[in-house]
This record gives sequence, structure tokens and C-alpha cells, in this order.
Amino acid sequence: MIRNTLVWLCSTTAIAAVMALPAHAQKKTTLVVGLDISDGRNYDTARSADLTPPLTHGAVYDGLLTLSADDLVNVKPALATAWTLVNNGTAWRFQLRPGVKFWNGDPMTAEDVKFSLDRLVNVKDQPATYASNMGAVTIVDPMTVEIAMKNPKEPLLLDLTAPSFAIYSAKLAKANGAVSEPGADQTDKATTWLNGNSAGTGPYRMVGWERNVSVTLQKNANYWGKPAEFERVVIRHIADGAAQLLAVRRGDVDIAMNLSAEQLDSLKGNADVSVIQGASTDTLYFCLTSNPEMNATLAKKEARQAVVSAIDYDGLIKGLVGGFADRPPNFLPAGIAGTTVEQTKEFGAKEDLAKAKALLAAAGVPNGFEFELIYPNAAYFSTSYQLMAQKIQSDVARVGIKMNLKPMDNVNWRAQFNGAKSQATIAPWNSPSPNPYLWTGASVQRVAVRMGWKPSQELLDLVSAGAAENDVAKQKAIYEKYQRILVDNANYITLMQPIYRVAVHKNIKDVKLTPNVWKMELAQIKPAS
Amino acid sequence: MFRYLVMRVAGMAVMALLATLVVFLIANQVPGDPVLAQLGDLAASDPNMVARYRARWGLDRPLWEQYWIFLRGIFNGDLGVSISTQRPVLDDIRQYAPATVELATISFFLSLIVGIPLGVLAAIRRDTWIDNFARFLSLAGVSSPTFWLAFIMLALFYGGLQIAPGPGRIDLSVISPPSVTGLFLIDAAIAGDWEAWRNAAGHLILPSIVLASGTLGLITRTTRASMLEAMTQDYVRVARAKGLTERKIVIGHLLPNALIPVVTLGGLAYAVLLTGAVMTETIFSWPGLGRYTFRSAVALDFPGIMGITLVVAVVYLVINLLTDLSYALLDPRVARERAE
Amino acid sequence: MTAVSDEAAAWAAGRWGRWRRRYGLAAFGAALVVLWILIAILAPWISPYPFEAVDVTKRLQPPSPVHWLGTDALGRDVLSRLLWGSRISLFAGIVVVAIGAALGVVIGGIAAYAGGKAEELMMRATDLVLCFPPIILAMAIAAALGIGVRNTMIAMLIVWWPKFARLARSLVLVQRSQEYVEAAVVMGYGSGRILFRHIVPNAVGPLVVLVTLDVGQAIITFAGLSFLGLGVIPPMPEWGAMVSEGRELVDQWWVATFPGLAILSVVVGFNFLGDGVRDWLDPKSRRQ
Repeated sequence: MIRNTLVWLCSTTAIAAVMALPAHAQKKTTLVVGLDISDGRNYDTARSADLTPPLTHGAVYDGLLTLSADDLVNVKPALATAWTLVNNGTAWRFQLRPGVKFWNGDPMTAEDVKFSLDRLVNVKDQPATYASNMGAVTIVDPMTVEIAMKNPKEPLLLDLTAPSFAIYSAKLAKANGAVSEPGADQTDKATTWLNGNSAGTGPYRMVGWERNVSVTLQKNANYWGKPAEFERVVIRHIADGAAQLLAVRRGDVDIAMNLSAEQLDSLKGNADVSVIQGASTDTLYFCLTSNPEMNATLAKKEARQAVVSAIDYDGLIKGLVGGFADRPPNFLPAGIAGTTVEQTKEFGAKEDLAKAKALLAAAGVPNGFEFELIYPNAAYFSTSYQLMAQKIQSDVARVGIKMNLKPMDNVNWRAQFNGAKSQATIAPWNSPSPNPYLWTGASVQRVAVRMGWKPSQELLDLVSAGAAENDVAKQKAIYEKYQRILVDNANYITLMQPIYRVAVHKNIKDVKLTPNVWKMELAQIKPAS
Repeated sequence: MFRYLVMRVAGMAVMALLATLVVFLIANQVPGDPVLAQLGDLAASDPNMVARYRARWGLDRPLWEQYWIFLRGIFNGDLGVSISTQRPVLDDIRQYAPATVELATISFFLSLIVGIPLGVLAAIRRDTWIDNFARFLSLAGVSSPTFWLAFIMLALFYGGLQIAPGPGRIDLSVISPPSVTGLFLIDAAIAGDWEAWRNAAGHLILPSIVLASGTLGLITRTTRASMLEAMTQDYVRVARAKGLTERKIVIGHLLPNALIPVVTLGGLAYAVLLTGAVMTETIFSWPGLGRYTFRSAVALDFPGIMGITLVVAVVYLVINLLTDLSYALLDPRVARERAE
Repeated sequence: MTAVSDEAAAWAAGRWGRWRRRYGLAAFGAALVVLWILIAILAPWISPYPFEAVDVTKRLQPPSPVHWLGTDALGRDVLSRLLWGSRISLFAGIVVVAIGAALGVVIGGIAAYAGGKAEELMMRATDLVLCFPPIILAMAIAAALGIGVRNTMIAMLIVWWPKFARLARSLVLVQRSQEYVEAAVVMGYGSGRILFRHIVPNAVGPLVVLVTLDVGQAIITFAGLSFLGLGVIPPMPEWGAMVSEGRELVDQWWVATFPGLAILSVVVGFNFLGDGVRDWLDPKSRRQ
């Protein structure tokens, strides 16, 4: 398959070269994206939990619902056109969009929806955990489905926007080994095929994936919406930021996605390449233990507050990521459930050395104390944890706190962090959908356990109340209260919420980033001329 | 001779297996847990999910059983499935090996082509500027850290002067030749795609120079030393007495004898090349075994590490065997000893 | 009279020229090594800034009269970090080779002297370790033990001793068959006395060469592991780690270039020195 594609590509390029038309007279038909795709282990939506495959999924699959870049609260129609609560509010009923076809021409029906969602649950891979609130899927008629909720108090609609809930052709998938019934974790064999092909309704279809080389997409002639602008999209694997930089300068790639702040700075004044930016809901947070067995001093709230008050947040963001990051007040990122960066100024943690010293005295350690920070030996958006850890180390040293660094590889780090064996760490957070409960629930449950912290009943009640609240203003008030308690506890502090920046060559236009998990609206990009 | 060969091969097989056992034991001493790292944050908190994953990768079995499964796999031509890439290890190796083989072969020949003449010249023009130059070059080559040399070459010739192609095996705008051997130079030649051939060859220049820097020194020094040794032998005096020209003596008598120790360097040079490959590939974004090895090691990907160890050990042992055999063939004294 | 002294002077000059040609590089190497050792000792007094002084407002400044070698991504003075970094590189290189050589010599010596099963076992163990390219085994061990100077040095030691064991064994075997040793055996001296009074002193030469040449190799290997992220714990400055910090920076060449030059110069020093020692000890290459 891949070989055929390559041969085909070779011959088309050859023909193009023979015709030797001036480049500008020709309509650009291939979009090339430079991206480090080494993390992608598979492209099966029911099994994929990596960072980069959603970019492809977003272009080749549709879900029942979707989200626009500027509104992460109200879901938008996609394959479903209308939805209502039924059965006393315990299930959602979806009206499917008429006239939608898969890329092979087959019509999309309720059966495909049930097949896709059942398979997600029954292959029991990692994405199944995102569907924890999804109950039985029932076909009402060929164009109507009902999805029950396990806990009607918790939201479901936002979850359905994640690429894991993509709808694909039951017929095509089954023909290639897919199984949706219970036991699919043993019997399903479709991943191999889905790694190189898509079976969806999106504006493009996937025609090839060569690991650590490229992903190739082709225009879907049967797309139900506005047709895609390129015949072909190639996502080229380029691990090295410096190589991506050169490639986008020369126009070998149209978009370079993994450039560091310094590399983006070097593009200033380049007439061919512009830099665009977009918010994200990803965060980097710093956490401290409450467990006296891990660190007796950190177990005191005042000591943790002293650490948090000694960090130079502005220096961290301005100095290390070129200023391209926001800072929300605590665990919930800005843009989710009414959280804003203004709240940080109002009640978030601030650098205040005098206060830090006073807090140290209150904790009974006026001359400071020692603790250990573990972190993975890796980079976070082209900035290494190593640099951030050293910056924080020098910050807290100003008030006499000695933070010892303990770098480790990702595997050891994950084991120590998840196993509640760390005194302090810096960790990344990214969420498959903007459902606030994905943050709040975790913050009082599994992340709290890791930090040896028992949340108060008041906080637990706030989290449940926030999840059940449908009124936007009331929900915002509940979550503000929740964030204030987290700030006061000082077990977590969000260091930054990065703003993505990508370099775009002038060959193309309408590149738009989105805070959603698929990162970029690939299908909306057009040739410049 | 035949019995010797059989014994050697049997010994090699035992060695290679022992090597995998060593790595297996080391890898299992690690406090980290590959499952927790592979599963995302959410799934890693679900004990059922973790248990299922462990069972899927056989990590819930006792150690000896895991090793036994690995051994059984080897005899079925199966090295297991890599935890981090979720593909058969053999497929991974098959994908990454050609890039390394191509790079290492070119660098090896590069260091032979430059190293042997330089060593010969240094020996016959002993204590002159050329001897000193050879000494300087070889010592400087051995002394420069590969990772830094790679960085400097790239920054200078690609970033600064812009006369060399950048990282990777081929330009982004050039489509790689259809894979037959996986070696781009050969594949491109088969496909008759000379543009791709030129491009791939250009991409090989910098990394192969960097990689050759270590072996070049080794080969120059050894050639020089064994030339000097050979020059004191009686047959050279005889040849001189017979009135042969210096050129004939060097090419006809000295060189063949002096090259014998150079041949034995094969194994050593291979180790140097593989060590260098880890660093060179990291900086040149070369999709080869070096990077794969490094990534498997830090991800604690047991099947990946074991598979790579086995392959590396086998290749090393085979090269050693070939070295010894060619040594025996070249040096009649050794051959006679073995035959007795 | 004058003619004679002229001749003597010419002879001396020729000798000096030959000496310079033969040992000039070695002397240069020795000077480099001594220089770096002095820098390592004096680092706290000659560094213009503390090596851990972070100031992100002054990050990535090019070399200037204030910061001779510029500043790194955290605004730290590259020169100060470079001078301090000599301590860890020299320490790791010398200690690994010293302990590795001691271990190897003991194991190889015992093997050669004991012979039989014990020898077979020890030599197979060395072969096993030599099966791996050193960096790959060291990488696996360092990754398993965790990051840190001590752990990385342990990992290096595990791959370091076998070559010394092999050399020591072959040296002892050669020496044992020498006539004077056989004579000592005939005279009924104890094996310990033979080993330490006769064999060891004669085997020391080649060992010294290997040790000197090897310190450079050990420094490069340590820097390489450090470059891959397995070496030192920050903020301790180390040259390999410094190169790694600078390698993704396109326009800020000074961050990676200077630490690399430091590694190069110290390793060149040890290699030139070792090479000179080899020439000096090896009668064959000395004789003209």
C-alpha cells in the first residue's frame, strides 16, 4: 500500500517536473506538515492515547459532536444534528445527520454509531477510560441513537467530542477484523488495518502511515461538508526542531509544529514564514506532598505555601518559553468552566519573598528546609524540565529552601509519581476533551492520592456540585471556590498553560490552531493562491 | 579446522544467549515500571487496565518464565513485541538496521581509504612532518567527542555555510527510493532514481566523516606500527639486497604483511562505529539502530533491549569469527597452528 | 675548540630537533593535562561568577567582556561553568580508569597465574562484557541504576575492567615464560614474590600506556553518557551535559561549542601524552 503510494508519488512528481510549469501557475495540491510523530504507536481511535495521532483523526473522522476553537463549553453538531435528554434525564437521544457517506460511498447509519462506540468500550484499551460515563448505546431507528449515562449527574456530551468517540463504517471495519461485542479485547484484529487506513466520514481519508516517516491523507470525494482544499496531505516526521525550521524556511514543509522559542525568534523578519499562535488547555503543574512520611516539613501547609510564594512565575514564563504561556489560578486551565487568568491576579499564588520568609517562620523552619524534586529527563514544548527545575531551584534558594533535583527517565518518573513516592514533581496535564470533571475529579482523587493529601468534604462536594451544575454562571462560582481552596492548600500550583506557536509558510492560508486535542483544523487550510 | 569452526560457532551461540541473560537481569533490576509509563495518566490509575496490560506483555509472570518465553521465541525467529513501539522487535530492527549499516559501511571504508595510505606514508617517512601530521590527525580524531563533532559539523557546514545537506537520510522534498534493501544508495540505483541517489549520498557525507573520525585514527596508528614492525624483518633486507625498488618493496612485500594486524581491527572498529552511531544518529536525526537502542534503553522496553542486545552480540561475535578466520588465512603460521 | 663546541651545538640542536619532533606533541599533551588539573584545583578562585547563579533576564547573551564565553539558557556564565566542569570530568575519567585498571589487573593477573578452570571462567566473563559495545551496556546499566555521577561511574567501571584484565593476563603469561622468571621458580621463590618482584615491574610499562590513553577515552565516554542525560544531577556543571543543553540552539553557538572544545583539549592532552609515553617505552619504535 505504502509502496504503491510512493510509486504513485514518484510518478506524479516526475510528471510535474517534466511539465516544468512555473510554480506559481500551478495550484498547490499537496499540504506538507512537519511534525515529530515519534510518539504515535497506533492510529486506531479505540486504542490511541498518544499526542500526535489526533491531528490525523480530526481530519479523517467525525464524531457525533464537535467543538470550535473559541468555545470549549458548548458542543457543536457534527454527525448528530440534534440531541435531547430522554428517560428522565438518564440518556441522550441523537438525531443523525442525513445524507452522510463514508469515503467508500456507504451511507452512515445508527448501526455504525453503535458499532464504533461499543468497540471503544469493549476493546478495553486506554481510551475506554474516557468513556467511563457512557452506558448502553441503543439504536432507535436507522437515523436515531440513544446513549445512556452511568451517572446522569456527570456530563457526557463534552466527552463525545474526543477523537476516541469517532464514528467509522461498521462494514469496512468488520471486513478488516474489527469486533465490537464484549470480548473484543481478545478478538479484535482491526488495529493493523486502521493504522494505515481510515474508515470515517471526514474531509480526508488516511491512506498510509509509515512509522517515524510520514502519515499520508487523501481527499475524501464523498465528504458531506465543504470539500477539502488539497488533494493530499503529508505529515512528515521531523524530530529535530532545527531541521523543521530550515524546511519551513525553504518551503519544503508548509507548517512546522515543533519549534522552540529561540527557533521561532529566528524567523522574525522572514517574509516567507509567519508565526501563528493558539491557546491550549494543556498545563504544566508543580506539586508538593502532604505526606509527613515523604517530607515532614512539606506536610505543613505553611511550608508548602512558602515554596509556592518563592517562585518567580513571570521569570519562568518570560525567560524560558519566550512569554508564550498563560497562568491559570490552579488546576483548571483558563478557558475551561469560566476560569480566567484574571483570577490568578486576584487569588492565585504570587511571588512574594517576604511572605515566604514569614510562612517559613510560621512553619517552624525560619532558616529554610530541604526537599527533593523529581522530574522526567525530557522536554515540555521544546523547553526541558531540566531548565525549569533549575530555575525553580534557584528561586526557592532565595528564601533558604534547598530543593534537591532528581532527574530520571520517563519510566521511573511515572512509576514514582503514580506510586505516591515523590516529595515534589513537575508534571504535564492534557485532557482528551474539555470536560472540567476530567481535571477537577482527578485533582481530588488520583492526583491527591499521589501527593498524600486528603481533600476536605467541602472540596469533594464542590467538585460534585460543579459537575452536576448546568448553569454556566453558577458553575463558574463553584469552580472559583474550588480553585481558591486548592491555592490555599498549595499541593498544586499550575506553572504555565502554554500558547502553541507554529511556523506557516506563505504557500498556504487559513491555518487555525485549536485548544482541542487535535490541535489544528487541518481540513480548513487552503492553498494561498 | 572444521572442528575448530564448529566449536567456535557453538561457543558463540552460548555467549550471545548469556549476553541476553545479562541484559535481561540488568533491565529487571530497575525500579521503574514500563507499563505505568506506557499507559496514560488516566489508565495507569485503573488497576484492571494495568493488570490487563501486564498480562498482555507477560510482565505478570515470574522472571525465569519471561526469559524462557524470550528464548522460545528466538528459536521461532521471534524476538517478541516492543512495548514502546508495539511492533515486533524484529520488524523494528529490520526497519532501522539498514540506515545504520549504510552509514557504518561508508564510514568504515572512508577510514580505510584514508587511514591505510596515511599509516603507510607515516611509517616510511618516519619522524617527518607527514608522520607528525598523521599522528596529529589520528589522535585528534580519537580525542574529539562524537556528539560534539557532529554538532559542530552540522552547525558549520549546514547551518552556517549552507553547503551540506541537513539532518536525516534524504531531503524532505525528495521522495525516498522504493525499499528493496533499505540502503538508499542501492535502492536508488536499482530504481534508477539518480536524483535520490545524489541526495542520499550528500546526506551521508557529514555523518560518515564524523563517524569515521574515531576509526580513522585507529587504522592509521595500527598500519603505521605494523609497517614499522615489518620493515625490520629479514625478508625486507633480502629484498633490498636483491635491488628491488623501494616502491616494489612497499607494495609487494611490506604492505601485505603489515595489513594483517589491520584486519584484526575489524571487530574493534565495529564496536567504535556502533558506539559512535548512538551519538551521531542522535544529532543527525538518522533513523538507525543507534537511536532505537538509546530509546529502548531509557524507556525500559525489555523486548526491545533484549532483541537489540542479541543482534548486536551476534554481529559482534560473527565479525570476530570472520576476523580470526581471515587472520588465519592471511597468516600461514596461525593456520598451521590451528590445523595441528 | 670553537669548532668542537659548534659541532656539539649542532649535535645538540639536531638532538633537540629530533626530540621535539618525537616528543613535541607529548610535551604539548602533558602541558594541557597539567593546565586542566590546575584549573580543576583552582576553579573556585578563578571562576568569575558562581556556576549556579541563575538570571533569566540575562539568558543566552553572546560572548562579551562581561561574560567571556557568553551565558546559557538560564543566564549562567558559561566560562564559570566550564572551569568548574573540569573537576567532574577529570575526576570521573581518572577514577574510573584507576579503579578499572586495578580491578582488571587483579582479575587478569590471578587468572593468568591460577590457570585452569578459574582462568577459563574469568576470561569468559571478560569476553561476555566485551561482547557489547561499551556505551550500549553502560547506557543500559546507567539507565537502570538511575542518574548521578556515582551510578554512571559504576556503569562505566562494569564495562571498563575487561580490557585491563585481558592485557594483564597476556602480560603475565609473556613474562612468566621469560627466562628470569623460570630461573626464580627454579630457585624456589614463592609465587607472590615472583609475581610482585619480577612480573609486575616488567608489565607496568604497557599498562601505563593503556592507562594514560584510556583516561581520555573515559572522559569522552562519561561526557557522552552525560550528553544523553545519564550523567550528572544539575545544577552541577558537566561538559557533556553543557553541549547537550546547547545543541538545539540555532543562533547561540557558544553554549555548546566551548564545552566541546574543553573536552577535546583535555582528551587530546591525555592522548598525546599517552602516545609519547608509548614511544618512549617501546624500544622497537624508539630504535631508528
